[in-house]
Amino acid sequence: MTIRATSALPTARPTALAGLGLLAALGLTACSSSAGDDGPKAGGDAGRGPSAERRVANVEITAAKGCVPDKATFTAGGITFKIKNKDATAVSEVELLSGARIVGEKENLPPGFTGEFAVTVPAGKYTLYCPGASTERRPITVTGSAATGSTDVAALLKTATQGYGEYVETQVASLLTAGQRLATALRGQDLAAAQQAYVDARPFYEKIEPVAESFVVGQDSIDADLDAREGDVPAAKWRGFHRIEKALFQKKSLTGLAIYGDQLVNDVKRLQKLTAGLAFQPTELANGAQELLDEVAASKITGEEERYSRIDMLDIDDNVEGADQAFAQLQPALQKIDPALTKTIADRFGALDRVIDEYRTTSNPSGFKLYGELTAADKRKVAAAVKAVQEPLSKVASKVANA
Amino acid sequence: MPEAPSGVARRRFLGGALGAAGALAAGGAGFGVAKAVGTDDPAPAPGRVAFYGPHQAGIATPAQDRLAFAAFDVTSSSADDLQRLLGTWAAAAAQMTKGAPIGSVETAPDVPPIDTGEALGLPPAKLTITVGFGPSLFDARFGLARKRPVALEPIPALPGDTLDPNRSDGDLCVQACADDPQVAFHAIRNFARLARGTAVLRWSQLGFGRTSSTSTSQETPRNLMGFKDGTNNIKAEDTAELADHVWVGAETDQGWMRGGSYLVARRIRMLIESWDTDNLADQEQVFGRFKNSGAPLTGKHEFDEVDLKAVKGTEPVIPIDAHVRLASPKTNDGLRILRRGYSYTDGIDADTGLLDAGLFFIAFQKDPRTQFVPLQRKLGSHDRLNEYIRHTGSGLFAVPPGLRGPGDWWGKALFA
Repeated sequence: MTIRATSALPTARPTALAGLGLLAALGLTACSSSAGDDGPKAGGDAGRGPSAERRVANVEITAAKGCVPDKATFTAGGITFKIKNKDATAVSEVELLSGARIVGEKENLPPGFTGEFAVTVPAGKYTLYCPGASTERRPITVTGSAATGSTDVAALLKTATQGYGEYVETQVASLLTAGQRLATALRGQDLAAAQQAYVDARPFYEKIEPVAESFVVGQDSIDADLDAREGDVPAAKWRGFHRIEKALFQKKSLTGLAIYGDQLVNDVKRLQKLTAGLAFQPTELANGAQELLDEVAASKITGEEERYSRIDMLDIDDNVEGADQAFAQLQPALQKIDPALTKTIADRFGALDRVIDEYRTTSNPSGFKLYGELTAADKRKVAAAVKAVQEPLSKVASKVANA
Repeated sequence: MPEAPSGVARRRFLGGALGAAGALAAGGAGFGVAKAVGTDDPAPAPGRVAFYGPHQAGIATPAQDRLAFAAFDVTSSSADDLQRLLGTWAAAAAQMTKGAPIGSVETAPDVPPIDTGEALGLPPAKLTITVGFGPSLFDARFGLARKRPVALEPIPALPGDTLDPNRSDGDLCVQACADDPQVAFHAIRNFARLARGTAVLRWSQLGFGRTSSTSTSQETPRNLMGFKDGTNNIKAEDTAELADHVWVGAETDQGWMRGGSYLVARRIRMLIESWDTDNLADQEQVFGRFKNSGAPLTGKHEFDEVDLKAVKGTEPVIPIDAHVRLASPKTNDGLRILRRGYSYTDGIDADTGLLDAGLFFIAFQKDPRTQFVPLQRKLGSHDRLNEYIRHTGSGLFAVPPGLRGPGDWWGKALFA
């Protein structure tokens, strides 16, 4: 995992997305028979079985009969499902299921469009599932044994969750270091240095915010202790980042802040203890990524978060980076499960990154335009790019849960 | 607020007979009033308006009570994405106009439902969904520059315009009309959701009450000024008038528009607090009609002919700057448009505390360059009503013909 330098102007986000971005849009013509043929292209080797033989099932979706494959029995290995939706207005996707697990699928298939997906499957009973069709389920039988070589999705998911666990630990460790620097600055006399220390510490929290938010024990909440905004908690209990932010950026005074700096360091240490060696589930990565984007859409783009420092764009960048990292961990496994969806999300994260990059500037300590410098059109643009990721990302949890 | 025609009483009397004959004749030419075609859409049940047909529904079909209108900007630059969106919208519209959800509401516990669900259990409520393309769609992004009809010339600046760019224009428009506001809103909401990643909402407008009648079976409703405005609208039964003034025919330079129409939307704010203090006589002079009966100042009943020549002493009975005179086909070389507007309110103006309410004017026509634009140029300069209204939003959209059946989508021919 690449960790961004704290105060240096960050460069482009170097995740696993870079490679996929190159595979972007090919401007296909929907009227031709190749329309929607993006599954296998995006999917790389997914489904191209080691055997040279290519087995194809042509699936026609009609309002009257539902999903009908022209072939229902295959020998193990790579199978390509070529799908045409003739006139079933209630159907827009096709999945291949093994039990409840989605082995492969193709979405965005309204009437008049075609598409395909490829899978590599061992012997067993499968179901071709077309949600909304008049006959939703058709059995597919696979016999014999595959020539093997397929990477186990479960193993990839395990790597993903371990990788994310390490990412969280690294961020929390950096948060502690940055928090200690902030606490030191709050004991000094240099307001500008303390403001910079605040700006430097925020990213590490924002990247893993949903993890911190998950620790609520009775009345005790790590998130509230670290990140409550004024009015979220009784005034006497208010501490953490925003208590410090208000003093530094509104009152512009260091007086009496030392105690809040020390509390912040202690609270981060509590967080570190809670997150050390934490085992995550694949769905938690997916949902965590979604929560981070919800944060952006619900409170960051509205300017509710950094009321005094106005560094909301920095928070947005870090929320997005945290979401992006969780997704990047899942990406190798998701690529096997649903290459088209993986590509869509990767492309849209790329587009979102490019939108955010437009607001970078070296003239502010945060590296971004301040909230007050954003126009209504700017905010709408960022919000639209976030929503464009959220919609496909909302489907990831179910895919990795069943895998 | 252009008023439609006259020649009125006659047309109204003959409407039934002419309509039937006209429909027969037009049926052969493929320009009849929208009828159900396609396998899954037999003669629509009560409460259902056929989605498929030669013309899009929501134009010459009877105006429903409620409106949800939205303009979208396409954010993707892929023509494939755009077509797939229009195809997905077409399928969703076919479902919703049947009163069915666009997809399952109960898929799996760990995925969001496909349909948002607020219209579950509600009847179709005569839902119609009408889609159009703005001039900006025909720029360089999708390779459509040579497909732009000449009639889709952006509306020029007009006298008295006070347009807000955030309430104007757009690449795509969607007009959802229904007798139930939740049904209409559900359509726009689900369209916006299906568009994520490909297109974003640019502006939207809810209308709470129809201000036009588009069928002889409907009463003329009143606008927020309390007047019947649009008595002489083109009606669904006026097949010949529709062919002459509303549907794009063989004259178009773009074959894909035949059977379509052009939609002009204008958000017209009424300064109703000022209007409410104007005396009755002046209000009636402004419109040229009696407030109570809706009759022209030269008549007794709503559908009496508007006599523009009548004088009282030396003054014309219907003032020279009365709305009904300036908008009349008689003073506009027979020019007519089909009006399908709705009253709206968006709460209060934050600066003044005055109600932000008025007319969301929608008109359909064969060629806005020779219909809406000259009409509004004249009204914007001379209409006595201008003292009480402000045009605050504007949009022009090419509305392609109706969809043939499942597997067809808006503009499919445009991309072919």
